[in-house]
Amino acid sequence: MTHSKTITLTVNGKAVTAAVEPRTHLADFLRERQLLTGTHLGCEHGVCGACTILIDGEPARSCITLAVACDGHAVTTVEGLDGDPVAADLREAFSTEHGLQCGFCTPGMLVSARDVVLRRPTADDNQIRVEMSGNLCRCTGYVGIVNAIRRVLDARKTAAE
Amino acid sequence: MKAVGFDYERPTALDHALELLARDDVSARAVAGAQSLGPMLNLRLAQPDLLVDITHIAELRQIRREDGTLRIGACVTHARLEDGDYDDATRGVLPAVAAGIAYRAVRNRGTIGGSVAHADPAADWIATLTALGADVVVAGPAGRRAVPVSDFVLGVFETDLQPGEIIAEFRVPALSERARWGYYKVCRKAGEFSHATGAVLVDPARGVSRAVIAAASGRPVVVDDPEVIHGNGCRPERIADLLAGTPIGGDAFEVNTHTVALKRAIAQVTA
Amino acid sequence: MAHASGVGARVRRKEDERLLRGRGRFVGDIALPGMKELAFVRSPVAHARIRGVDIPEEHRAAVFIWADLAMDGVKPIRAVSGLPGFKASEQPALADGKVRFVGEPVAVCIAATRAEAEDIAAQVFVDVEELPVNADMLEAVKPGAPRVHEHWSDNVFLETNVGGAIAEIAATAPVKVTRTIRTARQCMVPLEGKGVVAHWDRHVEQLVLTTATQMPHIVRAGLSECLGLDQGLIRVVAPDVGGGFGWKGLLQPEEVVAGWLARHLDHPVRWTEDRREHLVAAANCREHHYEITAYADERGRLLGLEADAWVDAGAYSVYPFSACLEAAQVGSILPGPYDFRHYRCRTFSVCTNKPPIVPYRGVARTGVCFAMEQMIDAVAEAVGREPWEVRLENLVPPDKMPFDNVTKKHFDSGDYPESVRRAVAAIELDGWRARQTRGEPDGRLIGVGVATYCEQSAHGTAVYYGWGIPMVPGHEQAQARITPDGGLELRVGVQSHGQSMETTFAQVAHEVLGIELARIKLVHGDTALTPYSTGTWGSRSMVMAGGAVATACRTLAERVLRIGAHLLQGRPEDARLVDGCVRVGQASIPIRDIAHTWYRAPQLLPPDVDRGGLETTCGYKPKSDHGTFSYATHAVAVAVDPELGSVEILDYVVVEDAGTMVNPMVVDGQIYGGVAQGIGTALYERMPYDDEGQPLASTFMDYLIPGFTEVPHVRILHMMTPSPYTEFGVKGIGEGGAIAPPAALCNAINDALRPLGARVTDSPMTPERIIAAIHDASTSAAASTAEATR
Repeated sequence: MTHSKTITLTVNGKAVTAAVEPRTHLADFLRERQLLTGTHLGCEHGVCGACTILIDGEPARSCITLAVACDGHAVTTVEGLDGDPVAADLREAFSTEHGLQCGFCTPGMLVSARDVVLRRPTADDNQIRVEMSGNLCRCTGYVGIVNAIRRVLDARKTAAE
Repeated sequence: MKAVGFDYERPTALDHALELLARDDVSARAVAGAQSLGPMLNLRLAQPDLLVDITHIAELRQIRREDGTLRIGACVTHARLEDGDYDDATRGVLPAVAAGIAYRAVRNRGTIGGSVAHADPAADWIATLTALGADVVVAGPAGRRAVPVSDFVLGVFETDLQPGEIIAEFRVPALSERARWGYYKVCRKAGEFSHATGAVLVDPARGVSRAVIAAASGRPVVVDDPEVIHGNGCRPERIADLLAGTPIGGDAFEVNTHTVALKRAIAQVTA
Repeated sequence: MAHASGVGARVRRKEDERLLRGRGRFVGDIALPGMKELAFVRSPVAHARIRGVDIPEEHRAAVFIWADLAMDGVKPIRAVSGLPGFKASEQPALADGKVRFVGEPVAVCIAATRAEAEDIAAQVFVDVEELPVNADMLEAVKPGAPRVHEHWSDNVFLETNVGGAIAEIAATAPVKVTRTIRTARQCMVPLEGKGVVAHWDRHVEQLVLTTATQMPHIVRAGLSECLGLDQGLIRVVAPDVGGGFGWKGLLQPEEVVAGWLARHLDHPVRWTEDRREHLVAAANCREHHYEITAYADERGRLLGLEADAWVDAGAYSVYPFSACLEAAQVGSILPGPYDFRHYRCRTFSVCTNKPPIVPYRGVARTGVCFAMEQMIDAVAEAVGREPWEVRLENLVPPDKMPFDNVTKKHFDSGDYPESVRRAVAAIELDGWRARQTRGEPDGRLIGVGVATYCEQSAHGTAVYYGWGIPMVPGHEQAQARITPDGGLELRVGVQSHGQSMETTFAQVAHEVLGIELARIKLVHGDTALTPYSTGTWGSRSMVMAGGAVATACRTLAERVLRIGAHLLQGRPEDARLVDGCVRVGQASIPIRDIAHTWYRAPQLLPPDVDRGGLETTCGYKPKSDHGTFSYATHAVAVAVDPELGSVEILDYVVVEDAGTMVNPMVVDGQIYGGVAQGIGTALYERMPYDDEGQPLASTFMDYLIPGFTEVPHVRILHMMTPSPYTEFGVKGIGEGGAIAPPAALCNAINDALRPLGARVTDSPMTPERIIAAIHDASTSAAASTAEATR
């Protein structure tokens, strides 16, 4: 017999308290309980990256992170990036460069791409590819996504100069 | 693909964690970043009654240098080792290896202790810590004990960890200025688990000359034969001897791949 | 082009905004009040008689087996081909007395959450008496092989024979090359698996099945047949769908089960295919085996081709494409884009104890191209010429277009040889040849490979009637409706799941009516809201539904002009549509005002106004029923590591011709994505089975699909030869990218290995296979040296 645990965490800036079964992974908690369905499940074993979200600002796989383990932490999903300036630039660039087709991998792509933009501001195309390699896409052949990230990095470089 | 039901505790003190893990009425398992255990839970390959989350035990998250040793807490993440915000006694080995583990989102949660405890033969830390000559410090009901990493890993997903024990920290000896490090892993995809890993440390000032053949479907094979490292001995016939008795010992393709991995790691040291 | 955002414009997609904010709605995102979750108990073995299904007493009300469905009159899935000799299989949605592949659904469990449903499933025990297994198609066709369906005479769904006498050519041809070639069984792996939410709508009295499908109308037809419900009692809805590639182009047993449960129980149900189910139990495709011989003259001009081909079709015939589509297609398209006269091909759709195969992007063409293009390179090697020159020697030249080939395929237009010349120029072949001669400092071997294909798309009625399967495409229909405020609604029965139709169909409508893109809304993927369609498959949607949209918009344009001319007090024949306004001379009135008049001020309409108003449904077929033929040449340069057997792609060029491009950005996207999947087929993807029919890959750790670092920045060059038969001259483009990469890469790898005398012929071309080829070559070289010195 297992017992639910009451957890309190911040989801997209708002405090949330909920009783969860310990076995519930973060993605299911977000999707089924918080109705934040932008976080997608593509493999549920930590490889495809579709469920990538931010925990305390750092990208993480929500399918292999337990919701109970996020007690006291801050979680940000794609829905929580509406007002984020880097994400806004990326959304614009993804659309311009056709970096999405079916859109299923896209939320995870954006979260990882945002991390690359912030953590690897000088990345070349090859480094972008290596840094993004934890996110799988079956539609785009990746070219549009690399171009989109390149576009944002270049714009930020120009703006900084 | 959902885990079986289990209970969960998140102690903040090591003693409390050990108490929970010592319970004999349930099958208890320590968990840190869950990057290896998470998939096994979802696939129902692991079906524990109780998970003990050790990531909120402050002492397990420390990393510090003490004289000639770097002490790395079990719950230090790969990402932190990659980012290098510590006095790195390994002269860049740890950050470079960490950067090649899986993907950043995994490195942000996954821990060095979790990786070694999981004992996937293809994992980077097992190969690296073995080659560096590191010790693992294990905490358990009977206190602490230190074991060389090379002796700690016994086989595929199999370690010297006894019931109720967890990894507390690693002690990595500092490398001298003249130390040279070679590391080569054969992956078909970026971030994939390695199919064959060669790791080489040559540190003349400390009299160390060690090569490791890892990702060989079993415990890493330590090679201290100078002929292999410095001479002409890194050839399939010799590597086949060294791998004899492992599950891939008789597999010509595997032997060849491991030979090439080690040869290329050695080349980084001797070039 | 006439309009800045019409046909030919690179405009951004209308569907992006919601998807980029995580506000799409995929089937797994849908939760209905009272909904429960399903988990399936699946067969642990490949072939067995079921002695019983043990269900714990406390869960008896939450578990259903085939007997429960059958008692209610549910029928097995039947997908019968009308081709002579086809053996029909019956696939019950839950196994009926026997299981025929690992992962076959045996029972379904219902609970409040998926985790709890899986808890129940884990307690259900399937008691089986194991039977001998057919795990390999070549073994399965041998006399005495255990039969998958016991009442059959053998394990062959269908044998076909195409072509005729070739013995004379075989006896006299100066050059004869033979190869044995094999492609692996793969999984399709859209990032979203299948999924279904089913409920009974008490008000409309309909079963509503929301499912991740490419073909809602066909799923409705199939459900109707299995559940015994009138089609009017079923509504099938496809919400946002996370990629399909063929896997979402069939009626799945799980859909039948969910539909029955929703009607049988008093609450909605949801099933979400997880990745392990996808890899183990479903979504299989592509497994071909060829014994093939090409005959040529001394210049490499093809004189004839003969082949036997086997396709492992798995245990059942899938609805609607059947178990024989893949192999039958092999027979008709193996000759590729080449002009030769003598041909014989025998194909076998083999039944085995593996999951049924489903047509995957490119369908049989990827395997066919892999085989045929290896043969072209083999002929080139035999006659000592560059492979691209031998292609030029044999490709149908532009002055013969339109051209009927040896299997009566009607190639509509294009300059096939030019695509080869441009690809060879773009890859800069001479530079690579020089580098080969020099050798690489790191010891790797450079190779260059070329592959060419043409692709029938938007197949017409005759082709599918000939196969006699449960689905024959006829006229494609679209509904166009100008809204009272002057916007436009389009309703189509095809379904967009990444193809960008919400944008591209709007571009087509904009081209005709001039209404701005932002005010054009595409409604798709819902049987209640759209005209019947066979759905999205076979690179057909833009040709067929795009053509229908244009036709419907033209019909509305005539009506708009008539009303507009009246309002402007001009004559209809003097009226023109310009930028969304009707103009007569200098006078102009926007469509918005014309819409207002029809809906809100009808007293102003002319007495002879078309009573159909500003809404119409029109059907469309291209002028020729043979489909369009897109084509492309792919050229690739690789470096092969002879120590590890690994392959790095150094450059990849696609020269393609899909006729007129409605949105070049979207066309490029389809090609990039197709090539990535083709690279997966070529180098990584394989669903291995052991002798007992157990699948040996069940996660993304062991089934590898290409990621960012495995797919290069492909360079695309366009040719644009409009089809003479279609609206705007468009041709199908969705699948093409996935066809040629395995062939091009195989030829490149073999070009690299040639100095070692080694050759690979099977996909995927893994390190193990490349190393084995090198090893075999050195062993046989040593043997022949020994022979020579004896």
